[in-house]
Amino acid sequence: MTTVDTLAAGWQPTRAAAPFTRLVWSELRWIFRRPRTLVVLGVLGAIPVIIGLSVHLSGSTDGGPPNGEAPLFVTFASSALALPVGTLSVTLMFLLPLTVAMVGADAIAGEQSHGTLRGWLLAPVTRGRLLTVKALGVAVAALVAVTLMTSTGVVTGFVLGGTDGLFTLSGTSLTVVEALGRIGITISWVAVQLFAVGAVALAISTFTEHPMVVVAGILAGDILFGVLLMLSAVDWLHPFLLTVSWSALPDVLRDPIPTGTLTEGALRAGCYMLIGLSIAYARLTAKDG
Amino acid sequence: MSAIDIHARGATSNRGEVAPTSGGAGADGATSALVARARGLRKVYRGAVAVDSVDMDVPEGAVLGMLGPNGSGKTTMIRMLLGLVRPTEGDVELLGQPMPDAASRALPHVGALVEGPGFHPFLSGRENLLRVAAAEPLLPTTGTRDAVGAALERVGLSGAADRKYRGYSLGMKQRLGLAGALLVPRKLVVLDEPTNGLDPAGTREVRRIIGELRESGVSVLVSSHLLAEVEATCTHVVVLHEGTVVAQGSLDTLLDSGSPALLVSTPDAETAVEALRQNRTPARLAPGGVRVDLTATEPSTVVETLVRYGVAIDEARRERTGLEDVFARLTQAEAAEQAPDVEPDHVVMREVSP
Repeated sequence: MTTVDTLAAGWQPTRAAAPFTRLVWSELRWIFRRPRTLVVLGVLGAIPVIIGLSVHLSGSTDGGPPNGEAPLFVTFASSALALPVGTLSVTLMFLLPLTVAMVGADAIAGEQSHGTLRGWLLAPVTRGRLLTVKALGVAVAALVAVTLMTSTGVVTGFVLGGTDGLFTLSGTSLTVVEALGRIGITISWVAVQLFAVGAVALAISTFTEHPMVVVAGILAGDILFGVLLMLSAVDWLHPFLLTVSWSALPDVLRDPIPTGTLTEGALRAGCYMLIGLSIAYARLTAKDG
Repeated sequence: MSAIDIHARGATSNRGEVAPTSGGAGADGATSALVARARGLRKVYRGAVAVDSVDMDVPEGAVLGMLGPNGSGKTTMIRMLLGLVRPTEGDVELLGQPMPDAASRALPHVGALVEGPGFHPFLSGRENLLRVAAAEPLLPTTGTRDAVGAALERVGLSGAADRKYRGYSLGMKQRLGLAGALLVPRKLVVLDEPTNGLDPAGTREVRRIIGELRESGVSVLVSSHLLAEVEATCTHVVVLHEGTVVAQGSLDTLLDSGSPALLVSTPDAETAVEALRQNRTPARLAPGGVRVDLTATEPSTVVETLVRYGVAIDEARRERTGLEDVFARLTQAEAAEQAPDVEPDHVVMREVSP
């Protein structure tokens, strides 16, 4: 360790900060090195394959459909367009928000519980920067989860149904390029919804040092919103609930896409992000380290 | 008691080398450069006063031991010095910068191990340190790997660097925390209970590292509730008790605050006292020998006199007040002062209760 100039010699420390990209890389490496993250991603990636295979096999073993519904569902499950979208709309109800909640929980509450949050503050990394790094980490994790799931869904669909079965719910058929465009829209839209969940998870994360509280909070909110959406007595409340537009995801399978509900949903998610990150910032800057 | 004395004597030679600031260190009128300075600090957590009206100085180049029983406010003080917590009242300066507002100026030059080591169990020691290193402002990106390797080497963890942190012993965890504080050349290193969980060899290692830091001009602030540890490693001491400073200054000043005396172990105690009194040196019998007052004479003169009178001397040593004694005296005085405040309350209570 080298001797540094003395304070007495009029030494003045200057502002210093670690490069932002280095912090982000370090954070991403940490997220994707965590066994838990890898297990969850593995499960998410396997879901479209399992759904596709099981529906395809159950539909084709007895040689013919027992009733009228099966062929449509089998076609659906074997389509490179419908399978990923269908899987995403099913998992968007619980599994995907849960994944994002988990990452958001570890981001701040988890670090707090291991005593590692203090390390960031002592380095020092300013609290605003810390939140930015954490939010980026959660966003990347959400994007990776959605993209991975969609990719395995598309691949499974192509393998099972080939490139021909790309029918929309409106009965028209799409080219592969058009279908991939729809897939792109789906990924972005679901990711934006998950960013909103992530922002709320980060906000809860700043209030506790128990990651479980964050996951439970997100799950409870998800269920509560679901219940409220079923009660017509509180329909004035419905426009404020993040999950209200989630059931509109299959709209991307229509031709042309009815954009109303989807756009509204994206804007609503934007509001949730803004509010969630603001609360997280306010709490993080006021918090004792 | 005697064990403490031995420590104290062993440490004396070490302390002798330091000295540029050992004379005038104290909250009042310190003229030398300070790496940390606190004035009128007060911290209240939800109505509970953790620290109250604390003035504290960390002189540059010093190893300041912060001493106090558990719950005396040591960690709160450290957290305020490092800007982790905003004081309810008072000012903190770290490396001349107001905290916590100028944290991004001061903290890059400060290494800290606060409230135990904090790391992720699923990463190895090295990966954990790489993560810490990524956030260090003064480390160039290309140098992080080398810095981590060097820090691991320094705390003796190279062999276990690639094992998961989950499997580390308490001592290894503590060492890794220490390595995190030493990743970058620092001006000040703050160690909160650094020897917690360490075996005697580990404790010696920590002392060695503190010694190295001091020799290279780095100031160190160590908190501890282990008195012997502070006596052995520090040049300066701050004693905290129930959230206030009851004493601070150089260790020598604190230890020498009693009257100087020489303890002579001898089988001929009676003869010795007689001989010294004939030479007008005040002396009295003490267990195992005599205690000689050194106010007016030198140890060498005393020994010479005794030898001249044919007194057999087993050992002669300067009497030092152990830090334990000083500490007991300080904290007991505090308790005694508080006692009168308590009594009137009781009286009032009794009057009210019927």
